[in-house]
Amino acid sequence: MTDPELTYEEATARLEAIIKRLDSGEAGLRETLDLCREGRGLVELCAAELEAVGQGLEELRLNELVARLQAGAG
Amino acid sequence: MAQPGSAAPAGIDGSLLPGPFAVGHYAARMREYLRARTHVQLFGEVWNLRVSRAKVYFELRDAAGALPCSMWRGDFDALVLGDGALADGSQVVVGGGLDYYVGSRTSSPAFSFAISALRVAGEGDLLAQLDRLRRTLDAEGLFAPQKLLRRPALPRTIGVVTGEGGKARDDVLAGLARRGWAGRIVWAFAPVQDRHAAPRITRAVQDLAATGAVDVIVVARGGGSLADLFCFCDETLCRTIALLGVPVIASVGHHTDRTLIDDVAALSCSTPTHAAESAVPVHCAQARAEAVAVARRLGVHSSRAVLHRAQTLVRLSRAPGEHVARERARLHQGLREMRASGRRRASGEQARLARRALVLERRARAAALDARRATGLQAIAMALAAHDPDRTVRRGYALVSDRAGDVVTTGTAARAAGDITLRFGDGPVDATITPDR
Repeated sequence: MTDPELTYEEATARLEAIIKRLDSGEAGLRETLDLCREGRGLVELCAAELEAVGQGLEELRLNELVARLQAGAG
Repeated sequence: MAQPGSAAPAGIDGSLLPGPFAVGHYAARMREYLRARTHVQLFGEVWNLRVSRAKVYFELRDAAGALPCSMWRGDFDALVLGDGALADGSQVVVGGGLDYYVGSRTSSPAFSFAISALRVAGEGDLLAQLDRLRRTLDAEGLFAPQKLLRRPALPRTIGVVTGEGGKARDDVLAGLARRGWAGRIVWAFAPVQDRHAAPRITRAVQDLAATGAVDVIVVARGGGSLADLFCFCDETLCRTIALLGVPVIASVGHHTDRTLIDDVAALSCSTPTHAAESAVPVHCAQARAEAVAVARRLGVHSSRAVLHRAQTLVRLSRAPGEHVARERARLHQGLREMRASGRRRASGEQARLARRALVLERRARAAALDARRATGLQAIAMALAAHDPDRTVRRGYALVSDRAGDVVTTGTAARAAGDITLRFGDGPVDATITPDR
């Protein structure tokens, strides 16, 4: 199961470790399937992070952000 | 003070002041007045040093005030100062007097202290203060906290503190575009040069961090003189940034300029573009391609693991049947070999028996022949026996022989032999022939 609190860099670091383990050919069937499942979750997390900064630049002034946050909090 | 060539307008109603006078005339008189003041020596720090083709300009400052100064380029070059000997912050002693450029219809007037002599006295107080402050902040460990903060590889929201109309804004956007980053950017515009700049920058940084929605803050300003950048050495600003919970990337001035914010920030960059790139270490387009490649590799590993093992299982499941088949084939082969061997053995035995039968037959034939021969021989023997002298002897006859054993068959031969042997059936008897009577 992928930890939703993982940061992008933590996710990519874990993915590198998973690929390295799989490439070694030392993982058994159960471990391989578990690693692949975990890896797919991490890829989805990374893709979501990349998607969040790929939708188009949004420019705000500080007071606009503050107003938006206050509106959201209210 | 009438001015030739132009008629003076009427003065202000009710005013007791003299005039009106033509301004150019008044300016010229003021220049004369100022130039008549006593020439003196002054000391202070050089700021905003500018060297033009004709003149060298700077401001002479200390804590209580400042005076614009100018020096003819020829006089300045005659001092033969080394490179960098006179720079912003340099402590100098200057000699000269007040002067006033009266200007014209097309040029602005300028007041200055006209310098005729200059001596560099040493490092400026402001720079010395800067160094002291730098050492103090360093000793308090305030250069470290920002550098210990985690800087996200892929921030979603970036706060930027910069001048609203400055080129740094465009440079930051260019740096982010180069990374392929298109998230949320929050501008906190603030003056970045005058004496009001430091508190406004401090406030902007604090407010950005207080939103809790900003992952990293970039403080950017283009190049300028050290005096222009001095607001970024403000102690309150530097202490605020040092203790801020959000990482700050500073890009103030050029790489040759080193302000205190560069020391306390998480990262110091030479240009706003570089600062923006540093705020997003990941190249987004490249990272997307890598994510796709990783997903593909995971799929390959997953299917290969299952497929490989399925093939192994199939191979293993076939193994017993194949083993039985191999055993069966081996047994059949053994059986065939055994039968062939039996046939070979039977055939050999048969041949051997045939050979033996042949031998026996031959022997039988030989034996029959022998029997026949024996019968013949017996007949011969019987025939011989019929003629055997011993048989005659055994019937009472005697066989005469001389002593040499030769048979004596006549009386003459007996007389000639003299000594003879008479062989009877029961044994020989020697005899001697006596002469005839």
